[in-house]
Amino acid sequence: MRATSLIGALVVALGLTAGCGDSGGVGGAGEKPATQKTAAAGEPVTLKYWTWFPPESTLKTTIAAFEKSNPGIKIELREFEAADYQKQLPLALSGGEQLDIVGVQVSAMTNSVHEQLRPVSEWEADLPAGWRDKLAASPVAQSEKIAKDGVLYSIPMGSIGSAIMLSNTAMLGELGVAAPKTMDELKAAVDKIKAAKPDVKPVVFSGEPYWQEEMLFTLSGQTAPTLSDDLLAGRKPWNAPQMVQALTDYKSLFDKGIFDKSVLSLKGNRPAELFGSGQAAFLIDGSWQSSMLSDIYRKANKISIADVGASAVPVLGGGQPAARAFAEGGLSIPKASQHVKEAAAFIQFMTMGPGVAEWAKDLVLVPTFKDFQVDPSVLTSQSAKDGYGAVIQVINGGGSARDSNQAFLNQVEGNAILDVIRGETAPDKAADHLQEEWSSGRYAAQ
Amino acid sequence: MRSKALGAAALFLLPLLAFYGVYYLYAFGVLVDASRTRTSLSFTDATVVGWENFRLVITDELFLRAVLNNLLFAAVSIAAALTLGFFLAVSLASGVRLRRFFFTVFLLPSLIPLSLFATVFGRMLETDDGAVNALLGVVGIGPVDWLGSTGPSYAALFVLLVYLVGLPIMYYTSDLATTNTAVLESAMIDGAGSGHMYRLILFPMLRNTHKTVILSVLLGSFRAFDVVFFSTKGEPGGRTQITGTYIYNTMLGENRIGYASAAAVIVLVFALAISALQVLVTRRRAR
Repeated sequence: MRATSLIGALVVALGLTAGCGDSGGVGGAGEKPATQKTAAAGEPVTLKYWTWFPPESTLKTTIAAFEKSNPGIKIELREFEAADYQKQLPLALSGGEQLDIVGVQVSAMTNSVHEQLRPVSEWEADLPAGWRDKLAASPVAQSEKIAKDGVLYSIPMGSIGSAIMLSNTAMLGELGVAAPKTMDELKAAVDKIKAAKPDVKPVVFSGEPYWQEEMLFTLSGQTAPTLSDDLLAGRKPWNAPQMVQALTDYKSLFDKGIFDKSVLSLKGNRPAELFGSGQAAFLIDGSWQSSMLSDIYRKANKISIADVGASAVPVLGGGQPAARAFAEGGLSIPKASQHVKEAAAFIQFMTMGPGVAEWAKDLVLVPTFKDFQVDPSVLTSQSAKDGYGAVIQVINGGGSARDSNQAFLNQVEGNAILDVIRGETAPDKAADHLQEEWSSGRYAAQ
Repeated sequence: MRSKALGAAALFLLPLLAFYGVYYLYAFGVLVDASRTRTSLSFTDATVVGWENFRLVITDELFLRAVLNNLLFAAVSIAAALTLGFFLAVSLASGVRLRRFFFTVFLLPSLIPLSLFATVFGRMLETDDGAVNALLGVVGIGPVDWLGSTGPSYAALFVLLVYLVGLPIMYYTSDLATTNTAVLESAMIDGAGSGHMYRLILFPMLRNTHKTVILSVLLGSFRAFDVVFFSTKGEPGGRTQITGTYIYNTMLGENRIGYASAAAVIVLVFALAISALQVLVTRRRAR
């Protein structure tokens, strides 16, 4: 009886396991794109749109504007949390979900979903002639190059960069502190803030391991703009002298008291929360926090600061302001879509049409659309206007791409940087460890 | 007659077996299949790499540390359950004042989502504004860098795990309700003190509950992803990481599913081996 049961169970298990190997199904790699359906005149078309960006409230307003100007097309939106979306979309597409438009995190997701997406060349006939000329060349080229096969699968809505520094302009004005451009000036500002407002944290940023890479490569980018690109592409070893120097420089900012080690215990949204509530003078974060420059955004989100400015991270040791930047918010049409023409119309609206002005009010992305102008009602103070200009300038500065090997970053790199800051490991030893792990075969080189 | 009974039993078991087959065996099959490949979440671009992923996982110091942490956290949880959990359950069952209040205090962390509980706890560990350091500051201690130093990070997690003693309390409380009180009354008449009653009478009487508690806490420690992920996040330097957070972190990025699946298969086999060993040891002792 026992043997019979065991064999039965094994047969069931083997049968089911054998079924697992089938990678076919609608939307699979070997499948041909779905035939395009053409809606009869007057027949409404509903497009299924999945994304993680921009925020749902912004997107709903933008979609309403699109539907108003395209009465025959309805958009059915499903929005996800960013990290969750990276897992949900590849599974849904390979599982045959009939989607018409999908948002693609250009750097993090292109290669995990491109096999289920239509190349832009397949549907560019539905875009206006010369559409590439309407867009900044760099984000489009980045979206093209990031794909393993060098094919453009998505049109990027804009670019993001990190790190940048937001400042509580109202507080700094009260203390007579000018926006610091160098680390020495930041040190003077920190000392002044500590003396005048002991309850305020001078500088906050995330203490999470992933963010340490952003900080490190922003600082190293000031003197070695391509270091991040070179390391990730395997052109330089992780224990190269520039990397050791970068680790040493970053640690020195803590040793000098410009940054406080206590910020390393701040996780998630806490740094932005502290800054937004006036408990921190400077916030070092990504350009997606530029929303805080907008008076309308601050009021809507109950952020109590009267005025906010932005700048590049102050320069250390005579370099140039820098940030790593990359195309973001790619919009693609899956192979499974049967409404390519209508989907292309929506993508056009969102990337080079009136939709840009709708979603870009949040200032989360710097739009790819060349003719975009920020609505005057968004940036009301001079510091906000100057700050947004500084963000655009540093994003377009031509530094390394904002790219990472995520597993390596989460498991090894971020922790190694934190160990250096905390004095647990010397910079050269940490760099050797990074190189050893990078070449272990555990983390595929990009 | 016997075959009829077996047939009826099989009929009743069939839905459960079908459920088990679909959700466990199939999932395990997918995992094993994926573990020998280099592939992304779309599973359309798989390259077979043989046992390479397994070799890389078991030679990773971080993985070995994560396994050891799993066992350490399990040991702490079991020790807390068999001592504090047992003591609290017996004390609450003996009719102390504010019984319901204390039940709520100890059971609440086990009843609310662990992610929420651990997130709040993680926030309490902030160096400057955390409640823990604020409390210690009152008595002149600190501030302690809870997430930046290995010792304090482990201590913080131990506190969190000990505070999750609510489930063992529930197990003990339900078993205490069926305990033969005549034995206790006899012991009292014979002059046994409360220490003797706890140690020599009640503890041995709840032997079967101890087994349930040990097994559930042990296996629960392999599912403590949310406890670690939302409190220390494995910091500092990944030293408080457990297998769950290891698998999650290694899965992120391009073509990582095969590697993460190999790690998951190893953990699953390891957990099954521990459970089997525990069952065998328990049976031998029972004989």
